[in-house]
Amino acid sequence: MSLEPQELDDLTSKIGRKPTSTELQIVAAEWSEHCSYKSSKKHLKMLPMKGPLVISEKGYDSGVLDIGDGYVITAHIESHNHPSAVEPYGGAATGVGGVIRDILSAGTRPIAIFDGLRFGDIEKDLQARWLFKNAVTGIADYGNCLGIPTIGGEVEFDECYTNYALVDVAAIGFGKKSSLIKNHAKKGDIVVLLGGSTGRDGIGGSQFASDSLESENRSAVQIPDPFIEKLIIEAILEARNQKLIHAMKDLGGGGLSCAVSETADALSIGIEMDVNKVHTRESDMNPDEIMVSESQERMLIVTNTEKLKKLEEICKKFRISCSVIGHVTFDNMMHVKQGSKTCANLPTDVVANAKLLDRPSKKPAYLENIEKEKKLKPISDYSKMMMKFLAAPNIASKIWVYGQYDHEVGIRTVVKPGKDASVLRLDNGKFLSAKIDGNPKHCYINPREGAIGCFEEACRNVVCTGAKPIGMLDHLQFGNPEDPEIFWTFLESLKGITDFAKYFEIPCVGGKVSLYNETPTGPIKPTPIIGILGLIDKAPLFSHKIDAGDTIVIIGDTKDEMGGSEYFEYIHKFVGGKCPVVNFAESKSHMNTVLDVIGKGLVKAAHDCSKGGLAVAVSELCMTYQIGCNVSLEKIPGPKLDVDRTLFSETHSRYLLVVDKKNLQKLDGLLKKSKVSYKMIGTFGGENIRLNKENKPIIDLRVDKAQKTWFNSLRELVVHG
Amino acid sequence: MLAVFNVHVTIENKPGISDPEGETILNDLVLKGGDSSISKIKTAKMLKFTIKEKDKKSAQAKVQKICDELRIYNPMVSKVTIDVFDAS
Repeated sequence: MSLEPQELDDLTSKIGRKPTSTELQIVAAEWSEHCSYKSSKKHLKMLPMKGPLVISEKGYDSGVLDIGDGYVITAHIESHNHPSAVEPYGGAATGVGGVIRDILSAGTRPIAIFDGLRFGDIEKDLQARWLFKNAVTGIADYGNCLGIPTIGGEVEFDECYTNYALVDVAAIGFGKKSSLIKNHAKKGDIVVLLGGSTGRDGIGGSQFASDSLESENRSAVQIPDPFIEKLIIEAILEARNQKLIHAMKDLGGGGLSCAVSETADALSIGIEMDVNKVHTRESDMNPDEIMVSESQERMLIVTNTEKLKKLEEICKKFRISCSVIGHVTFDNMMHVKQGSKTCANLPTDVVANAKLLDRPSKKPAYLENIEKEKKLKPISDYSKMMMKFLAAPNIASKIWVYGQYDHEVGIRTVVKPGKDASVLRLDNGKFLSAKIDGNPKHCYINPREGAIGCFEEACRNVVCTGAKPIGMLDHLQFGNPEDPEIFWTFLESLKGITDFAKYFEIPCVGGKVSLYNETPTGPIKPTPIIGILGLIDKAPLFSHKIDAGDTIVIIGDTKDEMGGSEYFEYIHKFVGGKCPVVNFAESKSHMNTVLDVIGKGLVKAAHDCSKGGLAVAVSELCMTYQIGCNVSLEKIPGPKLDVDRTLFSETHSRYLLVVDKKNLQKLDGLLKKSKVSYKMIGTFGGENIRLNKENKPIIDLRVDKAQKTWFNSLRELVVHG
Repeated sequence: MLAVFNVHVTIENKPGISDPEGETILNDLVLKGGDSSISKIKTAKMLKFTIKEKDKKSAQAKVQKICDELRIYNPMVSKVTIDVFDAS
C-alpha cells in the first residue's frame, strides 16, 4: 500500500504539509489505477455518452436509460479479476455483489446478472479448471441466493489467461423514473453506513487490483454473504419508496475512503466522519484499516435526522446494522476523526481526483508479421474434424455453466440463455434484450478491428431477438499500462469502440477499465468486452420449431478473414492471419434489414455467425432444434474461397435466418429491395448436418451424435477431466 | 515399524475474515434461543485422515503436504490446524 514518490510529492504540495498515515492510506486507495482511472480517464472522454434516452446524474455508479412510460433501466459492468484469480469462489461472488449494489445505488431494483468468464486452457491446465469450476459456483451461489436471474454471458479459454482469471459481471436494473435517487445533500444532513460490519477482509483490495499479481502473498480476499445483500436490497428499496435517501453510494474498491471522498466530491460538499462510529467486526481495528477495508455488502447513505428514525426502523425490520458515521459539511473537506482526534483532513477534490497521466504508446512489435499466414496442414476428414471442433471448450455448449444459474427467477426471462441473447419482459409491455461479448483472439491480432468486432457481435446477438441496440457498456481489460505497447492496444481498442458507437449512435452508458492484468507468463491479450442493451417495443422473436423444408438464408458475405479464428487456433494451433473487419455501412444495413424481416414476422429463428464461422453457426441451429440440413457451400455469397475459409472464416455482419417456405417469396422481395448481400443456401430436414460442395458432403454428421458431443463435452471435461 | 494415527485437519476462515455461517448460527439461533453467554461461533470443515506412519511428526507432515499440494484448502482464505492422535 503505497504512493509513487512523485505522487507523494504531489500530495504534499497540494495540502501543504506531510500527510498522516491515515491520509496516506486513503489517498493510496483512491489514487490507485482501479479507483482513479489515472491512465485511462483522459482518453475515455472520447466515448459518446449522451443520447436521447440517456439520463445522467451526478454520482451515479450505473448508466440510466429512459425506456418510456415512466420507466428506466440501469446497467453497469465490473470485473473482479485479481480477487477471482486467487479465490475464484469468493472473488466471483463478491464481484456479482458489487455490481448489484451499483444498480441499487441509482434506486433501481436489480433484475438480471450477466457474467463473462475467461480462463487458461482447461483441457490441459488443472489450475484453470479449478478456477473455472469455482468461479461458476460462486456466481451461481450468490445470484441464486439473491433471487436475481443470471441470464447470459460468455465463457472463453485461452492460454494467455494461464494462472489467471477474468471475471466480468454486469447487472441490469429496472425501476420508475420518478424513484431514481437524485443525489444531493443539504446542510445538516447525516452520513449513514448501512449493511455488513467492517472487518479485516479485503484490506487494500483496490491497490491490489492495480498491482500485477505476482504471488499469492496477499490477504485481500472478500467473503460473500448474499443473504445480507438481499436484505440490503429490500431495505434500500423500501427506504427509496419512503424517500429517505438523499444520496447513496455502494462501498466497493477502496472501501470507505473512496465512497466518502467520491460522494463528497460529486455533490461538492464536505463530510466529517468518526471511525469509532463504524460498526466493526473486531474491536482492535485501527482507523487506517477501517478506512480501506473492503468488507462486502455495505452502502453509504446521506439522509437527514428526521428521516433517520424511519431508516433505522427499516434496518431493524430487515435486521441489518446501520450506524451514523458522520455529517455533511460545506468546507469540501473529507475530515476523518477517531473520537476527538483528527486522523485525516483533506480537500475532497484532491482525494477524488488523482493526477491524470499521459502514458506513452507505441505499436507493438509483435504486430509486424502477425497477419502472415502459415501453410496449414490439409484436413483429410472434415466430418471427424468438425466433431472434435464441436467439443472444443470455446465452441461447445455452455449449458454446464448457465444450467447452474437460476435464470428464470423473477419470471421476466422470456427468451432463456442458450440463444443469441436472452430477453426480459418489462412492466411497460416492452422487452429488453442484452448480451456481452468479447474476442481476445481477434483483439490480439488487431486491437481496433477486434474491439469493433466485439461491439458488432453483441449488437448482432440482440438484433437476432428482434431488439434495437440502445445502449452500450464497455469493459476494457489490458495488461500493464506502463508498457507503451500495451497502452497502444488499449488506445486502439478504445478508438475503434468510439468510432462504432458514434456511427451507430449507441451511447456508452457505463464501463470500467481494468489494467495490470498480468499473469506469471506475461500480459493477457487485449480483452475489451462490450455489453449491449436492446429494446423491443412489441414482441421478441420467440424461436419456432424448425420443420423439414424450411429454408436457411444467409445475409452477408463470407470473406477471407481467418486471423484469430477458433479454427486456426484450436485445430491448427496457429495464431495469426487477418482478423475480420467490420464494414460499418454494411453492418448497419444488415442490422436494419434483419430487424425489419423479424418485425414483419417472416423469420422463424435468427442466428448470427461468429466463433467457429458458418459451419458452427449452421450446426448450432441444427443441434438446438434437433433437425438435419443440407447446405450448398457454392451458394455462400462473397469472394471465392477454399473450403476451410468458407466453413470457418469468422467474418462479421452475417446472419442466418430460418424461413418457412410460404414466407420465402416475400422475404426474397424485401431482401432484394434492401440491397443486402444474401442467398438461400440450403434447407432443413433429415437427420444429418450436411454441408455439401458440388453435391458431395464435405461435412456429414448425425445431428443427435453431434448434439450429444456439443452439449456434454464441457461438463465432461470439468467433471471427469 | 509403522503405527496408525488419526489426523484431524480443521479448515476455517482466517482470523479477521468474515464467517457468515458462524455469525448466522450465533445471531439467529443461539442468541435468539437466549444463550447470551455465547459471544462467538466460528464454522469450520474437518477432514479426518487415518494414516500409517512411523511417528506423529511424519503423520502430520504427510497430511499437511497432501492438503497443500491438492489444494484441499485455499491458503488465501483459510487457516488449517492439523492435530494428530494415536488410533486405538
